[in-house]
Formats: sequence, C-alpha cells, structure tokens
Amino acid sequence: MPKIETTGRLFYNLLGKTIDDEQLEEVFPVAKAELDGHEDDLLKIELNDTNRPDLWSAAGIARQLKAYWGKEAPLYDFFSTAEETFDSEGRELIIDASAKEVRPYSIGFAAKGHKVSEDELEALIQSQEKLCSNFGRKRKTIAIGIYRSNLITYPVHYRGADPDTTKFIPLGMDRELTLREICSEHPKGKEYGPIVSDSKVFPYLHDDKGETLSFPPVINSAHIGAVEVGDENLFLELSGTDLHDLLLTASILACDMSDLGYEILPVKVSFPEETEFGREITVPYYFQEPISCTLSQVHKTLGEPMSGDDAVAALKRMGIYAIYDEDTIWATVPEWRNDFLHPVDLVEDIMIGYGLGNFQPEMPQDFTVGRLSPAEELGRKVKDLMVGLGFQEMMYNYLGSKREYVDNMRFPAEKCIFISNPMSENYEVVRPSVIPSLLESESVSAHAPFPHKIFEVGKIAFLDEKENSGTTTRNSLGFLASDSVMGYNEVSSIVNTLFYFLGKEYQLSALEGDGRFIPGRCARIMLGEQDVGVFGEIHPAVLENWGSQTPTIACEVDLDLLMN
Amino acid sequence: MEIDVKNLHPLEVRLLRHVALGEPITAGRIVDELGYKVGQCNQAFSWLSAKGYLVEKSRESRVLYELTEFGREQAEKGTPTQRIFAFIKAEGPHALPEIASALSLDKSEVGSAFGQLSKAHCVRMNDENKAQSIADELSGEFLLTANLLQKGLKGDLDESALDADEKKAMGRIAKKRGAASSPFKVIEREEIVYELTEEGAQAKEAVLKANITGEELGSLTPEMLASGSWKEGTFRPYGLNAPTSRLIPGRHNPYGNYLQWVKDKLCSLGFEEFDGSLVENEFWNGDALFMPQFHSARDIHDVYYIKDPVHCKEIEEPWLSQVAKTHEDGWKTGSRGWRYKFDHEFTRRQVLRSQGTVLSARQLPKAKIPGKYFGVARCFRYDQVDATHGADFYQTEGIVLGNDVNLKTLLGLLKMFAEEIAGAEEVKYVPGYFPFTEPSIEVHIKHPVLGWFELGGSGIFRPEVTKALGIDVPVLAWGLGIDRMALMHLGLNDLRELFTPNIESVRTRRGN
Repeated sequence: MPKIETTGRLFYNLLGKTIDDEQLEEVFPVAKAELDGHEDDLLKIELNDTNRPDLWSAAGIARQLKAYWGKEAPLYDFFSTAEETFDSEGRELIIDASAKEVRPYSIGFAAKGHKVSEDELEALIQSQEKLCSNFGRKRKTIAIGIYRSNLITYPVHYRGADPDTTKFIPLGMDRELTLREICSEHPKGKEYGPIVSDSKVFPYLHDDKGETLSFPPVINSAHIGAVEVGDENLFLELSGTDLHDLLLTASILACDMSDLGYEILPVKVSFPEETEFGREITVPYYFQEPISCTLSQVHKTLGEPMSGDDAVAALKRMGIYAIYDEDTIWATVPEWRNDFLHPVDLVEDIMIGYGLGNFQPEMPQDFTVGRLSPAEELGRKVKDLMVGLGFQEMMYNYLGSKREYVDNMRFPAEKCIFISNPMSENYEVVRPSVIPSLLESESVSAHAPFPHKIFEVGKIAFLDEKENSGTTTRNSLGFLASDSVMGYNEVSSIVNTLFYFLGKEYQLSALEGDGRFIPGRCARIMLGEQDVGVFGEIHPAVLENWGSQTPTIACEVDLDLLMN
Repeated sequence: MEIDVKNLHPLEVRLLRHVALGEPITAGRIVDELGYKVGQCNQAFSWLSAKGYLVEKSRESRVLYELTEFGREQAEKGTPTQRIFAFIKAEGPHALPEIASALSLDKSEVGSAFGQLSKAHCVRMNDENKAQSIADELSGEFLLTANLLQKGLKGDLDESALDADEKKAMGRIAKKRGAASSPFKVIEREEIVYELTEEGAQAKEAVLKANITGEELGSLTPEMLASGSWKEGTFRPYGLNAPTSRLIPGRHNPYGNYLQWVKDKLCSLGFEEFDGSLVENEFWNGDALFMPQFHSARDIHDVYYIKDPVHCKEIEEPWLSQVAKTHEDGWKTGSRGWRYKFDHEFTRRQVLRSQGTVLSARQLPKAKIPGKYFGVARCFRYDQVDATHGADFYQTEGIVLGNDVNLKTLLGLLKMFAEEIAGAEEVKYVPGYFPFTEPSIEVHIKHPVLGWFELGGSGIFRPEVTKALGIDVPVLAWGLGIDRMALMHLGLNDLRELFTPNIESVRTRRGN
C-alpha cells in the first residue's frame, strides 16, 4: 500500500484549513487513508486503495476531503476531449515510429506561472515516484520525467535510439554516457535499465535542437532534466505501454499542479499511427466514459432504501457529478479517476458519500446448518485419544529447510515440494511428514524432563503425479515418544490402542528401505491392501543428525485414508 | 511461633517426645533408646534441625568396635582358649594334635592358645607331653575376651562404654584394617551432639498436648484392609501443604484449543467448514478473485512459487474461460474488465496458498444458496520471519451466500463476530479496499484488553468474482485476524511462539 509524507504547511494550505489529527483520523476513511504518524510538521499517511492513484498525494487527498465537506470542486478547465481540443500554442511532442518496438507511448503537458517551492518540489517528486512504482509497476508501464520547459525548443521528439551511439550527461554524473553505458554504470540504469535493455533501440527523448531531455524510463539529462526549487516553467512527460494509464496519470498530475497554483498548458502529442483516441491527442485529455447504476442495484447492494437524490448527493460528496433519471444514476467520472470498472464501484462511492455510520447493521435472515469438516471431526477424535494416551499436542510451521526434512531424516528429496523463490534456505520445502517437526522438538528440548510424548494432527504435502497439481496435501497424525527406555513394543502398543478406539482393524507388514527407522524395528500399518502409516524406532543416525541422545519412537498415520 | 504438629513425621514426633531440654542428643543414643536405624535417626535430625527444633552443640569423635564374621563365629562357638580349656577339663590330658583334631582347630591355633593358657597358669604340659589343666577355671583375662564377644553380638561396642581392662583386651583383639582374622573391627565415627531448642521444647509441648504419639497409622495398605488392622489405630494426619510432585499430563495445544473454539463458534453461527490443498495455482490464488495478473501482490516477492511441477495440468472449465474473459473485457459480469490479454500459462503456475480467500473462491462453484462457509487456512507469505510475520500462518475466512444479503447484513455479521468471537465492547466500520470485494469494509473493535484494533476485512464479492464462477446472488466475504487475539489469549507477544517446537514451553503454557 502506498505511503506518502507531506508537510503540514502544504497539506493544510491545500485543505484550506488546519485541523487536528483527531479530526483528520475521523475524516480520513473517506479517502481510505490512515494517519500513520505526525512528527513536527511531517504527516505520514497510508493509502489503502491501490486503484485510486489520485489519492497518493497531498493535493489528491485534500481534493477528496474538500468535496466531502461540501466545498465546490475547482474547475479544471484545461482538459481537451474528443469533442474539444485546446490550442497547444506550438508545444508539441512527436512520437517516432521507431519507439513502437521498445516503449510505444509518450505523452506530456506543460505548466507555468508558479515558482516551485521546496516542499512542493518534494511533493511532486514523491507523486512521480509513487505513481511510477505502485501504479506504473516500477516504471514498467509508466515513467514520468519533469523538465525545465524554458530550456526546451519544441517540438519534443520521442523515438527509439541506438543505445551505443546516443549519449548524454545523465543526472548525477558529470560525463557523457551512452544509453547502454547508463544501464550498466548509473544506479538508476542498473535499477530500471532491464525494462528496455533487451530491445534493439532504447527510448530517447530530445528537443528539436537535439538537446537531450531523458532516457525514459531510466534517467533525465543533467541539464534540461534537472528541476530546481524556484523553477517556474515545467514540462512533464510520461512514457509507457498503456495509453489509458498514461493519460490518467497525466490528468492526476495536472490537477495536483493546478491545485498548487500552476497554469496547465496543453501539449499536442502526435503518434505515428492511429490510437484509441486518434492520431493526435492534446494532453491533458479527458478520456473516461460515464458510468451508471440503477437505484434498485444501490438498494440491493447497500440494503438501504435511499432516494435517487440521496445517491446523487452522496456522490457529490465524493467529488462526482451525477444526475438521477428514471431509476438510474448517471455519473461523470472525475478527470483524476478511472477506477469504475463495474457499476458496483459507483455503489461503493455512494456508500462512502452517504456515510457508513448511516447504515444500521442487520442480521442475515437465512437459516443454515453449521458443520465441521470431516477431517476436523476425525482430527478431534484422534487428538483426544492421543491426549488420553499422555501425549502433548504440538503445532508446527509447515515450511522448513532441506536439511531438516530431507538430509536429517534420510528421506528422499524426490518426494518433496520445493519452493523456487525461497527467501531463505530455512524455509524452502513444504514438510512431507510430521515426523521431522517432532524431531525438531527433540533437538531443542533436551532440557525438558523425560519422557517426551508429543504429537501433532496437521497437514503435510508431497509430490503425487496422479493429482492435477502433481502434489497432494494430506491430513496427518504424527507422534513421537522418547525416553531412556523406549522401543518398538511401546510404539506398537500405542498404535494398537489408537486403532482399537478408532474402530480400525489393521495388519502390520515389514517396512524396508526407510532410512528413518532401525531396520527390522519398523512396520507399515495396513488397512486391507491400503498402506495408511508407518511406525518404528528412529534410527540412531537420524537421532544423531538431530543432536538427540535419547531413544525415540515415532509413528505417522494418513488420516484422510481413515475417513470412510 | 505457630507449631503445626501435622507437619511432623512420626520419626520426629517420637524423638521429640523422648528428649528433654539440655540433654545431649546423639544418633547413638536414639538408636539405643528408640530403636531407630541410623538412617532414620539422621533423617529425623535433619528435619528437626531445619525446623529449628534441634541445634547442633558439638561434634565428637567416637570409636566403635564391630564384630567381624570371625568374631561372630568365636562368640557363638567360644574362643579356642575357652574350648581347649573346657576340653581337657572334661576329657583329661590330651596331646595337642589330638585336641586339634577333636575340636577341628588348626594346629597352630591350638599351639598359640595353649601358649596363652600356660602363660596364664591355667594349663601345663605333663610328663607324657599331654596338656592338662592346672586351674579350676579360666582366668579373668580370657573371660573378658569372651564377654566382649558376647556383647559384640548385640551391637557395636562404644569405646567410651568400656572399662580400662576391657579397653586393654580390645586393644589385643581389634584391628582397624585387615580385620578379617580378628574378632573386632575398629570404626571411627564422628558423632554430632544435638540439643533441643526453645522452639523444640514448645513443639514437644504441642505434640504432647495434641496427644500424638508417632505410632499413628501411615499409608493405608491392602494388608491393613484385609486384616482389619486399621480399626486398631488412628490415622496420622498429613501435612496438607507438603510439596507436590510435577506431573506431565497429555494435553491439547492451547493455540489449537483456541482455534477449535473459534471453529465451534462459527459452527454455532451456522457456518460450514471448508478446507483445501496447500499448493494452489495462480488461477484460484488470484485470477478467480479478479486480481489482475500484473497486480503487485502477485509479485515474486509476495508469493512462494513451486519449483516442480511449475504448472498444474489444467484449470477447471468453464471457470477458466469465464474468468479469463472477465479479466479481459468483463465477460457477462457487467464489468469493463482489466483490458489486458489474460495469460493462460501464468494462470496454471503453482504457488503456496497465500490467502485464505482462495478457499472461498473454490467453494463458490459448489456452494449452496443460501449458504455460509468458513475455513481456518494455513497460508504462506514471502515475508521476513519476525515477531509479527511468520513464513506460514492461519487465516480465518468465510463467505455468506444469499439472495438478500447486502451491506447492512454484512455489518450485522461483522458485529456478531466482534461480539461473539472477539468480545468487543464497541465496533467501528470504515471503508476498506480489497481487489475482490466492492464495497469493502474494515471492522475495528474496542477490545477490553487490547484497545482499538482492526479485527478483519470484509466486503461483498465483486460480480467479476461471483458471476464468473457461476453465482448470481450477492456473496459476503470476510476474514478475521484472530492471531492477535490468540496471542493475547495465550499471554504471548510473538507470533513465532504459536508454532514453537520447544516442548517445555508448550507443556507449561496455560492458555485461558
């Protein structure tokens, strides 16, 4: 979940008033926000809705809260639409066909008329980062560059360039590097270079005089791309793979900057071929479709018999303009949002705008029968028997190391489910048996008074070709006992008692080639032809692997096979 | 000082009754006078000293003479001198070899005994070279030895109890080492002399007053019951606060008990339990929940992938086609979809279940309407393991299907959970965000101990989730974070403790 920081000065200024933290916490749910901390003048805010990138800035949150308080929304009158295009006054961004194979889209807009202050610049850079990393999948689908507009000679060109001959001085360095060198030498190149480095050509942004703006999505130039406090004329460029997401991100940034006091200047973007929105798009561009839902759908989902006017008023508090007509609520999606996939998304906004506190909890009316799963029923029976036999129930983690589950146990690795991206080798195998878990207890419990009698009813999983997943998960009973005198006869007696009370007639057959047990002192438990478990004296080599010096017996039974 | 006579062992009682202030109390004395064994005596001393009833006054070295096997034989049959003297007295003069064979003695023994007897003028050798008696009876010296032997039969002899002559005689017949051929063995023993303290005297008074003799009955035995001998005596009252011994019972795991309790609660509220495999695929783990395949929570750094087999064989139809289409353009769900090309290979990729909601999704195609389901599912997350994150952990999740469920019934359900399961005093709802529910609600509760915290997340499944899986009624989905309550319940503050392998820690864990 995105977390942002903002100075109180900037935030309260955008809000139009200063309110204390308690009031903030009270109203924050409207933006699905949580106050994470407030130290000196720095507010830390966590945003829970990963589909609302417009809220990941102080301006965006302030916009949402102000609407909720009933303030008229500012007029964002710089959006071109399919019907109406603003004059870009010569500011143009031309996309070359060569960019298509590496990163097809680039769009941009400009801003002027406001000297950027230190906390505004920080806020802008933060927005840029949050949008690129959370919404733009770590710059894979969206990368944003901010440039000094007055140094640019329009039109700006975006193209695929030869990575070995194209060179410029990147931000943070003092010499020219080729695009390919940037990928291997510049810290940002190492981080983001892989997004494009498999391509023949790399994305490259320069002005009409050939001055470099940037190597998107990696790094700006040290000249045009080095925005500083006090800069008054800015150009913003967004490159990426999805036109919808790029346009939305540009709209969010434009609205935020407008809230900060900038005048937003349109840029005409010319593509080499037709896009969904034409060959030329003047950005910022309003592309969202209206969304509607029926009032009966609102009633059904929210359970509240509100009127159409109530719903419209609720949406207004969410900053959404809507009208109610013939059982339907028609809403205009705000320029900075594009999260209405389904009418239920509009219903949720009605819910929040209406106020969650205005819905009275009701009990579901339907009668249903509660029931434990058969595995749980049998598990409880088995647990009670084991407790009656003097055993302590244990509960273990299901992930462990190869050393524990395979090497120490002399158990075949071919049966085990390995993780391909383990975080550490301590957690790289799903346990194929309860017995290693029980032996781990032995290895850490030499100080605990003997006898040790422990068991677990839990899950194990191992490879099984017959299954769709190639694996099977089983409900399993494992028990272990250790003491200075402990052997086959003890474990066999326990098994006998257990199966007697479970009402299962079993036979024993010889267990051979199982390195976990002492040969000749271990057995398979058979229900007819079905092998349902094993038990025996743990092999001293295994005990040695676990650092145990006490004779130990163990047993494991597949409970799923007992369930019929 | 409060004296509880019930805390006195019979050995203590009898000793206390026997001794008086100012008297020296020694093991030797108690053994003699009360017939204790030395071990019993030492036990009584140790207990009474610990209670402050006896105090050590001094330590004395004692010399004891213990009869050897050899000495015991002589005591029973008589010494060679006695026997030789008695023989010739009765049978007349005999040659020494004749005496030896008649009495089954060694010739050398007979020789040395004859030497002693003649030196003491009790016998002499006559002209026929036969031994004959010249005294009426044996002289005192020999009797002394015989007497000592007889006394030795009754028990060890204390040097301090011997007179000067006896000591002299003992000097001849006792040895410290290699005493096998001597009648007595010398034993040196340090003996502690105790005295009764003032408190001891009071304890004695208390014992006398309570009329306890130390002869009361101890453990009831089958023999006492069979013979009826218990009727003859009274039972000694036991010290009620005597230290108890540690027992190690068979026990359920307290965390397991808590989970069982939660399951029972949910059953009582009409929920049916579901369960599933630990290994899942991307389809059920994310796609079926309408999480786009590029969603950040599906990243390599959030989910564990299975190394082999990387993919499952197939995804069940028609769910695969319907879900894929829903992602792409919304299918018939009323949604516009995520507008991307659904990856049919990625969807088969296998992972360890990362969220319990998977089981809810899997339940949907086979669910009854109306229906309520829950599961306590082990889930796996790519997280650094610490006090608040486990490599694997339980999630408690469920769904409610019904034509008439809605936001208000969801709130009602959450309220019921908050009150019934979490014991909440107050409940607060806030809008939440989950990729698979819309609207989404978080429930925060005020717990009597933990204060305000987030109990769980919930919502109404998106139509993209339900319709694609063949369900046309609204479905409430909820998850409860009960780990925190479990920790509180068990008096722990580290999640790792819930799954500790440490036997002693689990054995002694109480739970509530």
